[in-house]
Amino acid sequence: MRAFVYDCPDAVDEAVASVAADPQAAFLAGGTTQLDLMKDGVWTPDRLVDISRLPLRGILVESQQLKVGALTTMEQLAAEPVVAQRLMFVREALLAGATVQLRNMATIGGNLLQRTRCRYFRDPTVSACNRRSPDSGCAAVDGVARMHAVLGVDERCIALHASDVAVPLLAVDSTVLVSGPTGQRRVPLSEFWVRADEGPSIENVLGHGDLITEIDVPLLPNGWRSGYLKVRDRASYEFALTSAAVALQMDGDMIADLRIALGGVGSVPWRAREAEEMLRGTHVDPVRFEQAGRAVMASAFTVPGTAFKVDLAVRTLSRQLLTMTEATP
Amino acid sequence: MTAIQSRPGAPWVGQGIDRVDGPHKVTGTAPYASDVTMAGMLHAVVVTSTIAAGTITKIDTSALLTLPGVRAVFTHENFPRLNTPPVIPFGDTPVAPLQDGRIAFHGQEIALVVADTPQQATEAARLVEVVYAPEPALLDPADGRPEPLSYLPDTHRGDTEAGWAIADVRVGASYRTAENTNNPLGLMGCVAAWDGDHLEMHDTTQWPIALRQTLAAVFGVPESGVRVHVPYLGGGFGAGLNQWAYKLLAAGAARALGRPVKLMLTRPQMFRLVGHRPDSEHQVRLGAARDGTLTMIEHRATSLSSLDHPAVGLLTAGTPQVYACPNVATVERTVRLNRRYPASMRAPGEAEGNWALETALDELAYELGMDPLELRLRNVSSVVHPPSGLPWSSNALVECCKVGAEVFGWSRRDPRPSSMREDGLLIGWGMAAAFYGAYLAMSRARVTVYADGTAAVRAAATDIGTGTYTVITQLAADLLGLSPHQVDFQLGDSDLPAAAQSGGSGLASSLSNAVIDAVTHLHGELLDLVGEGSPLYGLRPDDVVCRDGALCRRDDPATQESIADLLAGQGLLEASGDGRVRLPDPATAGMCHAGGFGARYVEVAIDPMIGRLRVRRVVSVTDAGRVLNPKLARSQILGATVGGIGMALFEETLTDPDTGRVANGTFGDYLLAVSADVPDVEVIFVGEPDRFTPAGTKGVGEIGLVGVPAAIGNAVFHATGRRLRSLPITVDQLVM
Ligand SMILES: Cc1cc2nc3c(=O)[nH]c(=O)nc-3n(C[C@H](O)[C@H](O)[C@H](O)COP(=O)(O)OP(=O)(O)OC[C@H]3O[C@@H](n4cnc5c(N)ncnc54)[C@H](O)[C@@H]3O)c2cc1C
Ligand code: SF4
Repeated sequence: MRAFVYDCPDAVDEAVASVAADPQAAFLAGGTTQLDLMKDGVWTPDRLVDISRLPLRGILVESQQLKVGALTTMEQLAAEPVVAQRLMFVREALLAGATVQLRNMATIGGNLLQRTRCRYFRDPTVSACNRRSPDSGCAAVDGVARMHAVLGVDERCIALHASDVAVPLLAVDSTVLVSGPTGQRRVPLSEFWVRADEGPSIENVLGHGDLITEIDVPLLPNGWRSGYLKVRDRASYEFALTSAAVALQMDGDMIADLRIALGGVGSVPWRAREAEEMLRGTHVDPVRFEQAGRAVMASAFTVPGTAFKVDLAVRTLSRQLLTMTEATP
Repeated sequence: MTAIQSRPGAPWVGQGIDRVDGPHKVTGTAPYASDVTMAGMLHAVVVTSTIAAGTITKIDTSALLTLPGVRAVFTHENFPRLNTPPVIPFGDTPVAPLQDGRIAFHGQEIALVVADTPQQATEAARLVEVVYAPEPALLDPADGRPEPLSYLPDTHRGDTEAGWAIADVRVGASYRTAENTNNPLGLMGCVAAWDGDHLEMHDTTQWPIALRQTLAAVFGVPESGVRVHVPYLGGGFGAGLNQWAYKLLAAGAARALGRPVKLMLTRPQMFRLVGHRPDSEHQVRLGAARDGTLTMIEHRATSLSSLDHPAVGLLTAGTPQVYACPNVATVERTVRLNRRYPASMRAPGEAEGNWALETALDELAYELGMDPLELRLRNVSSVVHPPSGLPWSSNALVECCKVGAEVFGWSRRDPRPSSMREDGLLIGWGMAAAFYGAYLAMSRARVTVYADGTAAVRAAATDIGTGTYTVITQLAADLLGLSPHQVDFQLGDSDLPAAAQSGGSGLASSLSNAVIDAVTHLHGELLDLVGEGSPLYGLRPDDVVCRDGALCRRDDPATQESIADLLAGQGLLEASGDGRVRLPDPATAGMCHAGGFGARYVEVAIDPMIGRLRVRRVVSVTDAGRVLNPKLARSQILGATVGGIGMALFEETLTDPDTGRVANGTFGDYLLAVSADVPDVEVIFVGEPDRFTPAGTKGVGEIGLVGVPAAIGNAVFHATGRRLRSLPITVDQLVM
């Protein structure tokens, strides 16, 4: 039996110190990613530092933002009334994710840090996986790829970041608060994840022992509307093949301002700034929506199993833009 | 069938009573193999290969024995030698495990770790180090080596080329189905315990007698000393029909170690080691006269198989049977590759073959400009079984089609593709006919009445969740003139009278046949106790019935003797009758034993911009002969419909093309239909009790799946004008 030490500290400093002191240690939040990886033998830490007793659970509503404790569960955040009023796409993304059982365990901090679903990554009997063992190759590129990414990837790794809620959180420029061995810092989500084509084995900017304590989520200004569209084969309980988080403010039939991020397509949750720029200040025009989508997907790297995602992502974004521009606020 | 008695509540057959085993299941008291523990029991974990072809040159396990709790590691070098397993039709034993170092598929059993706890065994199993001499694996279905096998003989009637030549309208196309994995919720596994040459086995088999026979032969012990227990199992869908290697591994290890051994497979292992519905390819050609009369049907099919295991292929079995076409040919082959063993999965072969044939018929209907329903009705052979020329023992396919059309509202369908729209969605209505061949296997049963007025039925059958416990209890209650609560049906123990497998949808028919025969023998036993002065004296078994604890004259029930008195008169506490299936020979009985028939009507809604498909409505009409319990039968059709939706839209076990590894063998990656994918399903039964078997049943376990994929695919065509011939039909095929 594989033994490991189990710590359950009460204070953030203790938790950070405990992981920082042991290179083979890992944090445990809801466990829905971490325990799967351990059972699959992908990641077998010698020490698990359970952070569930840390005082990091709950949501503080301020006038312009939410301060979301890292241990707030997906269900808790979805149930927050202000989220339904001012961040509809966050609520929709949460409720389209996983199942209610998982959402009651899964934390928001853990969600941002969930590991890729790539089956080659999650099966240690497969030797070629640059993400798991650097410079070993990538079995997915020539293998069965469907739940894989097309943006921010290259032939070294096509791993998808499969989170739903991270997509709208990125779209509204959320920031994470990190406590680490060297103190506290703030990292905007736009700088938090590392694309697979920038190095397949590094997924984010956290160092060993860095703990996310809080996610600060700006509220959309009054008069904005937002929504999240998730496209998948099953009606429920499946990761996105493609998804689009769109928030916008209309001025008559003109899009005064907007935010777009895409899911299901990137090695990191994907902010679609070029599309935002193409559409800001323009009239509602389906042709332009499609062009904006194509512009985002222009840099796609595909393999046979993922080629369909380029077109599907464009359609998903176009549809969501249509829905959002037609909706009444 | 023995006359049904008019007592309160009776007849029980035909009533939708609750499952008699329900309370045990919902209170957690029903014992499953995974619940069994024994003193001194060890836990075994299977280690599997990471190459698809080659041999093991070195397998180092010595270090593992020093790990805490590890008791033994078996490989081909030290596992007991096993006798060759016997050949069992439909339930073949794959090659005995760990007899040599040869690897025939990725994920094959290559070692067994036995430890004090499952966790210790799991960890040690991870650390087994293997050196292989890999060989190029046969993984490409187009490879051409080795020679394909045929499981079903080729069939032909008439002259298909002539039928093709005279046809006014012709269609021909290729169809494909994906590999599907059975995935019962209950993981399969066993506990094996030896006492000398006596083996007790708690398992998840669907066929205790076949397992007993296999274990006795493989370990060279008398069959009388092998006892298989399976009072409950968490489903099977056919995965429990074969005598899989894990059972032999557990029994071999238990014998070698002299301790009970428990072995539960993991979910990923379920994708590799207990069978699946193999991928299949079909070429179908149909010819018809202008009025829709079929002039020819040709169906050529291949499925993929493993190198060592021929596997059941029934891809074309249904094709010649339903339609009155004079010219029909079927050809079926299995292509052997370095792949895991296929086996039976709910409506094996017939579900796939029906998808091809019923899709081709839809294509033909469009070529003819004819309603697809009309095309079926024109060609169904409802009186005569076309291959044999004998009358069907029952056939309500026409009624299935008509009732379904009525309930569904088929007459309101605009046949033009993409013509029915709603809020930007494309609506499609599709239908398909369904047939599932009859299967009746030898079974025995014993019926015992006791002095206290209660009764028991005993047979080594299984209830895989289908309702066997309940329907046989209902039947016996009627036959004995008792209430169901007075009848105890004991099954799942190979020491009970031998029974058929839960397979081929044949168990209810087989068992009921044997139970009816057993009750007749019980009458004989009881008459044997009747004294000379009794009004029952000298009557024959068919002249009497049991009712409320009395043996009565059938034509005058008031003339009776108390069974308790009859028993007491001879100093007995019980009396039993042994029965077995009595098969009328179809030739002498002058009819063809019919299977189930059905018609499936489906509505889909497709959002063409993002390829989103939702099944919105299903009407499923089935002729299953006599329905013993409508509530449980409905559950069977519902579950099978869910399986059919999964087969059509989601389920696909993928194999890495280069390595032969299962690429998506987890519930996170392999998609089954979830509740949100299943709309309201209207389940309707039509037809008459079948004439071939005394209980009149035809089986409800599998027929419900047949036809669902084709009806969905045909609805997709109607919605979109796009003919999709490869399952599953996924988002990327539907964007337009
Ligand atoms: C079957 C299944 C289906 C799913 N479907 C979806 C879906 O549809 N959409 C979706 O978005 N997600 C989905 N998920 C992912 C799920 O949302 C994540 O697993 C979950 O959010 C992770 O949170 P957790 O609290 O369980 O994290 P854990 O598993 O405990 O931790 C995850 C990782 O983050 C680290 N960690 C956790 N918290 C912190 C912290 N505060 N600071 C630093 N490190 C930390 C851990 O060390 C670990 O490496 C699914 C998961 C499963 C198992
Ligand atoms: S895609 Fe990335 S995670 Fe998957 S096998 Fe390739 S390198 Fe590993």
